Amino acid sequence: MTTVLDHPTSAPGNSAMKRPLIERLNVFTAFGLGIISAIVFWYLARTFLPENTEGSFIKTRLDAVTIIAMLGWFFGFMTGIGALIGPFRWLLGKDLDHDESMFYAGKDQGIKRYFRYTTDHKVVGIQYLVITIIIFFVGGTLAMLIRMNLGHAGGGWLQPQTYNAIVGTHGIVMIVGTIIMITGPFGNFIMPIMIGARDMAFPRLNALSFWLIVAAIPPMLSSFFFGGISTGWSAYAPLASQAPPGMDGYIMFIVIFAISTMVAGANITTTVVKMRAKGMTWNRTPIFIYGVVASVALALPVFPLFFLSQVMSAMDRAVGSTFYDVRGGGSGWLYENLFWIMGHPEVYVILIPAVAALMEMAPVFTRRPLFSFNTAIMGIAGISGLSILVWAHHMYVTGWAPLLNGPFMLTTELISIPTGMLFLVLIGTLWRGRLWMTMPTASIYALLWNFMIGGITGIYLSDVPVDGALHGSMFVTAHFHYTLMGAGLTGALASLVFWFPKMTGRMFDRRLSWIAFWLVQIGFNVAFIGMFLVGLAGQPRRVDAYAALFNQGNSVTTMAAYSIMAGMLVLLYGVISSWTNGAIAPMNPWFAKTLDWTVPNPVPLENFEVLPVVTSDPYGYGKAQS
Amino acid sequence: MSVETHALANPHHEHPDVVGSRNRLGAILILVADITFALGVLFVYFYLKGQNVNGMWLPAASDSQSATTPVSSSGAWALALVAAIGLLAHRFALMGARAKNQAQLALGSLLALLISLVGLIYQGMQISSASFTVTMGAYASCYYLIAGLNFMHFAFTVFISLGNWNRSRLGLYSADHWHVTIVEIWWVWMTLSSVLGAFALSFT
Ligand code: HEM
Ligand SMILES: [Cu+2]
Repeated sequence: MTTVLDHPTSAPGNSAMKRPLIERLNVFTAFGLGIISAIVFWYLARTFLPENTEGSFIKTRLDAVTIIAMLGWFFGFMTGIGALIGPFRWLLGKDLDHDESMFYAGKDQGIKRYFRYTTDHKVVGIQYLVITIIIFFVGGTLAMLIRMNLGHAGGGWLQPQTYNAIVGTHGIVMIVGTIIMITGPFGNFIMPIMIGARDMAFPRLNALSFWLIVAAIPPMLSSFFFGGISTGWSAYAPLASQAPPGMDGYIMFIVIFAISTMVAGANITTTVVKMRAKGMTWNRTPIFIYGVVASVALALPVFPLFFLSQVMSAMDRAVGSTFYDVRGGGSGWLYENLFWIMGHPEVYVILIPAVAALMEMAPVFTRRPLFSFNTAIMGIAGISGLSILVWAHHMYVTGWAPLLNGPFMLTTELISIPTGMLFLVLIGTLWRGRLWMTMPTASIYALLWNFMIGGITGIYLSDVPVDGALHGSMFVTAHFHYTLMGAGLTGALASLVFWFPKMTGRMFDRRLSWIAFWLVQIGFNVAFIGMFLVGLAGQPRRVDAYAALFNQGNSVTTMAAYSIMAGMLVLLYGVISSWTNGAIAPMNPWFAKTLDWTVPNPVPLENFEVLPVVTSDPYGYGKAQS
Repeated sequence: MSVETHALANPHHEHPDVVGSRNRLGAILILVADITFALGVLFVYFYLKGQNVNGMWLPAASDSQSATTPVSSSGAWALALVAAIGLLAHRFALMGARAKNQAQLALGSLLALLISLVGLIYQGMQISSASFTVTMGAYASCYYLIAGLNFMHFAFTVFISLGNWNRSRLGLYSADHWHVTIVEIWWVWMTLSSVLGAFALSFT
């Protein structure tokens, strides 16, 4: 053993004055190079691109310049963080040696590794956690601005265009936040340990997927300075084609984010398929793993269509192509189809891992096996399969293919069957269990309640005649908040409290977790029941002002929104205070049986000293051999 | 901490076949994304062609601009042929690697690299010699999209062919050669996607 330890290491400063490139790049060089190259690209584009042709309808120059500058930012940032080192080393035939790989993994770098292109899945998991919190902070602030504006009838204090920009940005920021909120932090930190692996299949792609998200955010937020994302999160063309250059920020955001999703999807799926511990057969694989894989594997084939829709949006705006412009033979329906073929599966990309995480916790806190593991798998598989066949329920009233409305209604309503299976599994597990009441346990109940409302209102909306009345109203907004926030986010917050001890080595403050839970859940239910009511009464969504008739519901919603905000702030405070000086967590505070709880805190660099061998499923509670 | 040093003391040398099969799956999954992207492009093409909104798929001549005449698809088929020849060259290299014939590996890789360059340049020439601009109707938009995508594919092919040749030349594939297998998967898709593009452009 000692002979191996004598192996020379490339500790920083060890190798004379000139440190190798990989040790000098970090988030600061990335931002520096990104900004410089954005300015250079912007300048070159301004100087060399031709003026708009006189008299032509389409003015492309400004968008072309904006997009080129943003591409400059992107290439600069990725170069500055060190994403290109791997590919070029491969090209040159100088693969990373053991020491370099260890450096990449963040060995002995303390806090600095969080600011680098670090490959250790646990570092990436923490990075994702932090970026998710930041994203929700931004999105939540925008949500409060929306609610403050809607506190009064007749419009509030925001300009309509500003209001629209805030709504659109809130929407897309939150969608991206919810997409990554479970597969990012917990899929990266916990999943590999849970399957008994030392790291992800492709550690460098893992770092890539994270830093792509960081690169994607500035273009999107910069849009506020260029007219904003005023189209709503769905960015329908040709409306989007006419929007100010802020739209280019949306486009870049999606394009980069789609690449990140693709990379993460391939990486996570490969890890689970190829790297499970010996003996972890498919029916011994924890349900959370299924949820994570279903989520990313569903995203993998659909996000490229989102990517494509935005590439064509960019072309329409910046080079004058006419994919969506009817004057040139384009079609708005084309955009809507591409968008929703991604858009509906994407809601399950968000939902499935949240439910699966709670399914992982249910046996732990009831001390019973998961009720009907196979039903859970069938539910997840059924939802994933059906979810790609329902997209046009978002387009009933657009006039696209009216003959298909019936079939799409049918497929949409069929989804309630596999969804019901997931309910069955959760309720069956809770049934007559000896409950250990924690915030995650309560979250299971909250999910059942919220998702029942979200799901049933979804069935209303999938009914073609009903949707004719409700489409475009606040009812839709309330429906998807019940699913995204009531179900999805609830699962994510429970995951945070549940896995906090493993990720930070400290327990999440119990009292704070409960206070946050009740403030959020009560606030949430009051707020969105109010929104259902005004929606039923006909208040249109995405409008900055409303008739006096909707006063009451809106004030209720706005007041309740403050309760959600307070709860989220308590939770944020809980994260910070528990992380810095919470009680030190034991190795397995919940006495759970999955492998993630068999490694010490802090989790060693390569997780397992000796790779584990699995001999039973992880839900053997209350059985003799447990 | 003791655990950490211990883990280091066990540098787990995984068998190259294990690493290779893992990488192959990863590459295929990433390809899935590119494949749906390409199928999406085909959908766009045939959707807009089928709709022919305002008769603007291939606009007739107007006062301000001439009619859009579609390019002959033979150029696109020729490109698909180039890609197919590149695939064969790479296949030749892979057979060399399997037979532990380093000279054949290097030669095949070099040929594949040269052919990918030919494809890139040829696609670039076709794009710059089209008789219409991207603004001249839906067909024109789609043509530039398809040709541009194919150009990007060739550019990527040049990159990995260059790496593959360089690494073959350096003898990095003498022990195991799963990299070469994965590059072949890409060449297959390069060929197939060119065929898909040519297929679409055969309908105007
Ligand atoms: C239980 C089954 C569900 C059904 C039957 C269903 C049905 C529907 C229908 C028909 C619409 C279109 C309404 C309209 O625009 O007029 C819709 C919108 C929406 N649903 Fe669901 N839904 C279900 C579950 C979910 C879940 C689980 C999520 C997210 C996790 C979700 C998120 C959304 C979103 C984001 C929208 C609105 C998109 C927009 O227009 O901005 N839904 N749903
Ligand atoms: Cu949907």
